[in-house]
Amino acid sequence: MFQTLQDKLYLNFIKDDRYMYLVNGFITTIKIALLAILVGLIFGFIIAIIRSAYDMNKDQQRNTISAKLLSLANAICQLYLTILRGTPVVLQLLIIYFVIFADINVNKTFAAICAFGFNSAAYVAEIVRGGIMSIDRGQLEAGRSIGFSYAKTMLYIILPQAVKNVLPALGNEFIVLIKETSVAGYIAIEDLTKGGDIIRSRTYDAFFPLIAAGLIYLAVVLILSKGITIFERRLRASER
Amino acid sequence: MSADTIIKVKNLQKYFGKNGNIQTKALDDVNIEINRGDVVVVVGPSGSGKSTFLRCLNLLEMPTGGTITFEGTDITDPKNNINKQRMKMGMVFQQFNLFPHMTILKNLTIGPTKLLKKSKAEAEKYAMELLERVGLADRAGSYPNQLSGGQKQRIAIVRALCMQPDVMLFDEPTSALDPEMVGEVLDVMKALARQNMTMICVTHEMGFAREVGNRVIFMENGKILEENTPAEFFENPKSPRLKEFLNKIL
Repeated sequence: MFQTLQDKLYLNFIKDDRYMYLVNGFITTIKIALLAILVGLIFGFIIAIIRSAYDMNKDQQRNTISAKLLSLANAICQLYLTILRGTPVVLQLLIIYFVIFADINVNKTFAAICAFGFNSAAYVAEIVRGGIMSIDRGQLEAGRSIGFSYAKTMLYIILPQAVKNVLPALGNEFIVLIKETSVAGYIAIEDLTKGGDIIRSRTYDAFFPLIAAGLIYLAVVLILSKGITIFERRLRASER
Repeated sequence: MSADTIIKVKNLQKYFGKNGNIQTKALDDVNIEINRGDVVVVVGPSGSGKSTFLRCLNLLEMPTGGTITFEGTDITDPKNNINKQRMKMGMVFQQFNLFPHMTILKNLTIGPTKLLKKSKAEAEKYAMELLERVGLADRAGSYPNQLSGGQKQRIAIVRALCMQPDVMLFDEPTSALDPEMVGEVLDVMKALARQNMTMICVTHEMGFAREVGNRVIFMENGKILEENTPAEFFENPKSPRLKEFLNKIL
């Protein structure tokens, strides 16, 4: 019994340096996830700011060019959210790689970062917008009454409070995103899931490689959520 | 317009409700001139438009019609950048609206440092002087939610004063306070009036109106119904509606 366990571990991970499939897969997964989170955060915040600016200023009823531009930008953002949240991420990944980047020779990993990043942006946008809208309107009025522009009131007063409030939801979105990258294998990226699966196809043993890949995901997620909890606590500590 | 007029309001109108729908007239042709050093107290039943009037003065509410001239500039002109005038018009809210993520000192200095381009040291020195005057210098490092309501409102007044405004707008500054904290806020406002600050104050504190105001205005249904000196206003109300109002509250 013990002998067979050792044999299986040897067969699945040591022989022919098979553990490298998991190591390289892990590196690829982390690379895609981190860069996609970055893309998601940047575009998500931009969309959230446009959408909330539109929501907060529509009662001002001013027929200026900037108001019309804002209304157009808001419509574009809404269309973006509808499409990105209304279709499966695997399909988006396939479309980005095989349709949008069809004639341009791009790195697969880059295509995956775009797909997961733009998908995540849609969810981040709605999380952040919720955070912005949850801040009492008095804060906006207080900032404006001092003489801050709308943008500066956002930057100094609303966003710092909003981000603090949505941190748990954002953390959750990152966790979802990391796990979502496991479908990158659809465009033949050798990520962590694919790495485990490659070992399975070599050794005809499904249990060890797949469980190993699962444990690595679990460890990453646990570390991430612990990190978020600490970060959150540090942010809150300043107010007590 | 006399030389010392600071705010001139002409035919000010504010309707609520979307175009085409039934609209509520919150302000209906309001005219007033406010001079430097005036302490104008605005009273009236709820829904009379007094808060809307005050919030129109710094365009927190966009007027539907009419003009507001502040220090010679028509601030209702769409081409005007209101942020400049808002720096000169301090505002104090019923709900304080301090910034909860900043210390008291940061609340007081963010405006002067970012907008008036004061150095941090200079802004903090001035803020501490003002804090000293309202007796809250020891709370400079605290956060707003560590303070009582009365303390918060005194800080809110100081925050507005740190911008060295030419006029102070008070929107029911004592209405959200426990009765025993009203006095400490009114004391700060009285001290301010004694220093010749131009003040426009929406309030239910009739004692304050009588003691500190030099003009009292009675609003009803979006109109200024009566204006007088405090003595005349309370002793000899002219309109029957004001008599009825005063009877109810005094």
